[in-house]
Amino acid sequence: MKEVLKLEHIQKYYGNGGNVTKAIQDISFSVQEGEFVGIMGASGSGKTTLLNCISTIDTVSAGHIYLDGTDVTEINEKQIARFRRENLGFVFQDFNLLDTLTISENIALALTINKVPAGEIDGRVREMAGKLNITDILDKYPYQVSGGQKQRCACARAIINNPKLILADEPTGALDSHSSQMLLSTIQSINEMLGATILMVTHDAFSASYANRILFLRDGAIFTEIRKGSDSRRTFFNKILDVLTMMGGGVNDVL
Amino acid sequence: MMYSKLAFRNIRRSLRDYIIYFVTLTLTAALMYSFLALGFSPDILAMTENMSMLTSGILMLSVLIALLSSFVVGYAIRFMLGQRKKEFAAYELMGMEVKSVRNLFLAENSIIGGAAFLLGSLLGTALSGLLNQVVQNIFEIPHRYQVLFSLRALGMTLFFFILMYGFGMLRAAKVIRRRKVIDLLYDSRKNEETGFRPLHRSVLACLLSLAAMVAGVILLGKGLHIQTNEAMLYWGGGCLLILTGVYEMHRKIPVLLYQLAKRNPRRKYREENLFFLGQIGRRIQSSGRTMAVVSILLTVSLATMFVGLTMGAGYKANMEAYYPYDAGVAIDAPLTKESLDSVRSFVAERCEIEDSVTYYLYAVPHEAIEALSLSDYNHLREILGLSPVPMNSNEFLVHCDTWNYMDGIRQGLEQQPEITLNGRTLTPAETPIRTEPMEQYQMAGTKGYVLVLPDEVASQLSGEKIRLAMKLADGGYPELKNELRQFLNSGEWQPDIQPGQELPERVTMGVTVKAWGVANSLTGFTTISFCGLYLSIIFIILSCAVLAFEQLSAIDQNRKNYAVIDRLGVSGRRQVSLIHRELSTVFLIPLFFPIILTILLIVGTQFIFGEAILQEGLVLFYGMVTILLFCAIYLTYFCATMFLFKRVNLRPEMR
Repeated sequence: MKEVLKLEHIQKYYGNGGNVTKAIQDISFSVQEGEFVGIMGASGSGKTTLLNCISTIDTVSAGHIYLDGTDVTEINEKQIARFRRENLGFVFQDFNLLDTLTISENIALALTINKVPAGEIDGRVREMAGKLNITDILDKYPYQVSGGQKQRCACARAIINNPKLILADEPTGALDSHSSQMLLSTIQSINEMLGATILMVTHDAFSASYANRILFLRDGAIFTEIRKGSDSRRTFFNKILDVLTMMGGGVNDVL
Repeated sequence: MMYSKLAFRNIRRSLRDYIIYFVTLTLTAALMYSFLALGFSPDILAMTENMSMLTSGILMLSVLIALLSSFVVGYAIRFMLGQRKKEFAAYELMGMEVKSVRNLFLAENSIIGGAAFLLGSLLGTALSGLLNQVVQNIFEIPHRYQVLFSLRALGMTLFFFILMYGFGMLRAAKVIRRRKVIDLLYDSRKNEETGFRPLHRSVLACLLSLAAMVAGVILLGKGLHIQTNEAMLYWGGGCLLILTGVYEMHRKIPVLLYQLAKRNPRRKYREENLFFLGQIGRRIQSSGRTMAVVSILLTVSLATMFVGLTMGAGYKANMEAYYPYDAGVAIDAPLTKESLDSVRSFVAERCEIEDSVTYYLYAVPHEAIEALSLSDYNHLREILGLSPVPMNSNEFLVHCDTWNYMDGIRQGLEQQPEITLNGRTLTPAETPIRTEPMEQYQMAGTKGYVLVLPDEVASQLSGEKIRLAMKLADGGYPELKNELRQFLNSGEWQPDIQPGQELPERVTMGVTVKAWGVANSLTGFTTISFCGLYLSIIFIILSCAVLAFEQLSAIDQNRKNYAVIDRLGVSGRRQVSLIHRELSTVFLIPLFFPIILTILLIVGTQFIFGEAILQEGLVLFYGMVTILLFCAIYLTYFCATMFLFKRVNLRPEMR
């Protein structure tokens, strides 16, 4: 299987002189094409910083990040925009939909930015909306639909350009349990049916149980990693809880 | 003590939000002081006896401006409260009393207000020197730059400033008192509606607005041809219809354009148009009414500025020609020259006559032009300090100081270079047309031009109209006009008719006195010009401030939206271009009708009144001055808003 994402000895420091905060210290891992990887950790563990570095929103202090062979740490400011629109899809906790556009237009926005011919746009939006079961709300504005529907719209926008990597930052953070469950099923089906590669940051064990592999971060470093393999989701969920319990202690408790 | 420290720190931290507010307050104070200083200046008031008109006008306008400004101050304060509601919520959550939060905010505003007043007064003092020069220039008094400092003006400015600021502060205190912590914390989460009515309703509304505007123009046109008070009804109705039309048109045209743009998928999906349309759609939806009101204010301001400047300058241009003589009497009747001796004696009793000439305007057979004899013409020139014109006995010339007749006269001379009168053929003199200002209420011809003939030719024509021009010691005095008029209409004056002539059915009689003209008319028009300028500049500043605050109030939402497209892969360069496009559109929408209507007004004025104004190109010149002055203020606010918009919406490396 092809390696889509590869991180080599990533470090990220904030501040300078004697007042340096190490947000990430020496993280390395890779993600294969079609994988659904979860990143878990407590607040301040460095998971959002890591996601921001991968998504080119933030820069690394040291190390390299390769996306489909391109070193994103070497990309200059002018190339970043193009890199993002051609390679990445984003899903955020607070949806990040534009209140000024309808659901359909919010999805179409990603296509127009990617310079897809005008004649193709409506068709592609409808097709994607059909897959994510949001066809009946296409003409509504974000403030007229539920949180779950908003997040599915955000998912549709994230995947409509077939990005190489979808980055999700606490996608269920603002949803109730039912909507969370529906959204996670949707993300899982995007991964399984469309073969999308997903990197999801979450602190919620239930959300993480939908992933195939989970990286646990603590104090800016990978604490441990577990794979779902042939386990059921319930079993995987229990394993996650076990790791989280162990993380309350030290590395020696896990190994 | 702690609050004052906190207030100062808050001002420094919120400099971004306060800058436009501060600039607006400073400019308002500066204009208020400079115009009031002008109105109270003893030198200016001493120019003419009724110059107090200017003081009254500026004082009345200052009250109006203070009230209007108080609304804008209230608007600005609401904006700043909106920007800082979370900060205030934090103070309250920490246990600070609402009263203390209010006092803190009021303290901050008082510091800003105080600083704006002081800076405004300084700028106003400098500006007053310029205004002083302009007025002295109008009255043709030798002048140099000299600032006007008046304690009375400073006191009045402070009074109006407190009035304007006090209302704003009261509103702010009320808003802070009534707002609950939960509103302050979660207000920004409230949804903003972006729905529009169907397209056909927008089209219908546009058509109705257009009909209202057309009906308004028709009523205004009809009103111009009515000489009774009924005309006021037509004008009032016309203005109301035009304003309603402009307001509604302004509300609906952007909606219509937005809806049409969104209907066309090619346009809608081209590059970042979808995002741009969304941004504009929200501005139209949330600020449509404000933009329409701003548009009307701008229309009124531009019209006031243009009419004020043109009327003042136009009248000044005409004054030169209307009053070249200190005093003149024009009677369209074939009286004997001796009839005017008693008139001259009447004037001589009141003020010394340095020189005078009684002369006829002769009727030229079969021609629509009157004639003057060369000796009378040269005498008039002598009174005016002009050199006499040499002319051979077989020559003639035309005197015309009205520029708009010039082309016709030149053409006439080319087509008919010779004239024959009583068997004598005359050819044009070396300089066939003279243009020095000599006309004063039909003193040199009743049509705006006159033929100058050799004495022996003129004396054979019939002198049907008689004129008396006088040069008085010290230029006479304003009351002379009424005294002369009363004398002419009284039984005291007994004119004689030339032998063999008859009095026409209606005798037109005119009395002109230069001193009266300057004292009354120039003062009036100066007052109108300055009041127009004062009102319009402040209106423009306030409109711009409202527009800027309206844009900045949405800045947080905009920041989120630009962050979204940044993550979706829109480059920094494109984001800058989108910000330029968005802000330019929002600032251009309220300009659309004011600019069109002002251009129509300028063209219409040139068309209707152009001929009556003796200085060529004056209407167009002041039209340009109006537009340039307006653009300078508008662009300043636009650039300031753009600067803040970029700072907030773009990442530092993109700015």
